[in-house]
Amino acid sequence: MAEMSLPAPWKEAGHARRHWARYRAGYLFLLPSFVLYAVFMIYPFIQSIYLSFTDWNGATAVKNFVGLDNYRRLFNDGLLWTALRHNIIWVVIGTIAPMVIGLLLAVLLGNRPRGFTLFRTVYFMPQVLSPVVIALVWGWIYNPVFGILNKGLDAVGLESLSRGWLGDPTFALYAVLAAAIWAETGFVFVIFLAGLQNVSRDLLEAAMIDGANAWQRFWNVTVPQLANVINVVTALLLIGGFSVFDIIFVMTQGGPANATEVIATYTYKEAFTQNRVGYAATLSLVITAISLIASIVFIRLRERGES
Amino acid sequence: MATSAASDRKTTTVGWTRPRLSRSAPDLARYAVLLAFLVVFLLPFLWIWSSALKSSREIARQPFGLPTEFRWQNLQRAWTVGHFDQYIWNSVIYCAAIVAGVVVLSCLAGYALALLPVPGRDALLVVFLLGLMVPFQSVMVPLYYLLRDIHLLETYWAFIVPGIALRLPFGIFLMRGFFRGLPAELADAARVDGANEWRVFRQVMLPLATPGLSTLVVFQFMFTWNQFLMPLVFVQRDELRPVSLGTMFFFGRYTADRGMIAAGVTIAMLPVVLLYLALQRRFIEGITAGALKT
Repeated sequence: MAEMSLPAPWKEAGHARRHWARYRAGYLFLLPSFVLYAVFMIYPFIQSIYLSFTDWNGATAVKNFVGLDNYRRLFNDGLLWTALRHNIIWVVIGTIAPMVIGLLLAVLLGNRPRGFTLFRTVYFMPQVLSPVVIALVWGWIYNPVFGILNKGLDAVGLESLSRGWLGDPTFALYAVLAAAIWAETGFVFVIFLAGLQNVSRDLLEAAMIDGANAWQRFWNVTVPQLANVINVVTALLLIGGFSVFDIIFVMTQGGPANATEVIATYTYKEAFTQNRVGYAATLSLVITAISLIASIVFIRLRERGES
Repeated sequence: MATSAASDRKTTTVGWTRPRLSRSAPDLARYAVLLAFLVVFLLPFLWIWSSALKSSREIARQPFGLPTEFRWQNLQRAWTVGHFDQYIWNSVIYCAAIVAGVVVLSCLAGYALALLPVPGRDALLVVFLLGLMVPFQSVMVPLYYLLRDIHLLETYWAFIVPGIALRLPFGIFLMRGFFRGLPAELADAARVDGANEWRVFRQVMLPLATPGLSTLVVFQFMFTWNQFLMPLVFVQRDELRPVSLGTMFFFGRYTADRGMIAAGVTIAMLPVVLLYLALQRRFIEGITAGALKT
């Protein structure tokens, strides 16, 4: 009764106090993360959107608002479309090849034959290297003077195929991609190996009793049970593929003649060598939009698969 | 296809036990494929490691095989002349600070989002999930100017602070997953015994989440050690460069002395490769958990 007759501010204070008592721990545990995340992630993200409507060059005090100019420019920017095409080639080949090789190796090692640990250790090893190291090592492999690829081709009598792989606009993108596939396959392999542990043996045996041959068992029993794993791996490779930067930047810097330019290398150059900050922000949002769409599609697919 | 079919038949007849290395044709085919890939994955390592001990001439003439004369001075020169002593030290600083920051903050926040009452929890989860889905490029440009304006650019903090902040979504979701798998009754029992929330977290729940914690440490260490674009943009002074970035500039500086370049690249990869070989099961389990649990 006494509480009910208290003036309103008192009641609110009581409410706040109860709220604080109940949620204090949650707030305090989350506070440091949230502050850091808000200042260095959410705020710059909003700034990216804002900058994409300006023609800022990074130096002037005033940022001129130019409306949708940067977005209109996207459509007439030939280099962007070239870069996007390279990203798509990268994503398609760079997803399929590691998946096929990774799945093959995982199936071959699925029953842990002799030498299993050695094979697994070596197959996964490139995955721990930094993209810079991978790029430098593979840059050497492709070197026209002392690279082991040309030396190997010469040794087996295929001198005609020898070339400066990274200097040739026709081959450069695929040469860089091969290095990326070399590095990425171990990751896919290990995930598939984990996925195979969960494939039901009973179902495989039942299929065999029903007379399914090995390929039918693999395709109709094993693969469907790996659907979730395949989904995750595809999503990760796809998202990584659209924002790929390191290995290309170190190996070719996008060259020769933009033959290996992708959106991320193009964005980097616009932002930090051309100082077209506004347009670079717009380009970065293109990468972001593609990644977001890919992520959401795959989350949806996964949810549908689980329900 | 023949080999995968063969292995399938084998596994079902032998019954998923470790089979003996028989001399049957399918088995030979299987090992031929496995060994071919072994060579593909191993050869670049062996080539660079052996080149690190050769002279430039020998690298060109005798790419395969062991060095005729072990030139340990290549490694020594890369270490001092090539500044690898500085780069490695910088990477140690970055890794220690960023791994510690990510782990501590992710444990706290992941625990809160998993097991504590938090108003607006779903909205918070969406906000953090968004951070998991957008690439670094989405914040790269404004972040550069933000760091410049608060005078962090060209200091260790320019990599450490955003290096922690941008990895929080991953760490939080990973730790939240682990904490959600723990029995909440344990926490309740401790509360009934009069423990406050901090003690419940620190003394009861956190020790149970050690597997998750070590996964996050391994994952984050590898990520930070290898990270390239963020330090490339935010850290331009040579004496602040981490080893990933330093290796690239080193490579550009000394194009002629190939033995020393190979030595530098070897130094850059050795710490993480040795750590991997020592803890390889933890690495592989960590990567698998990281991919499948977040």
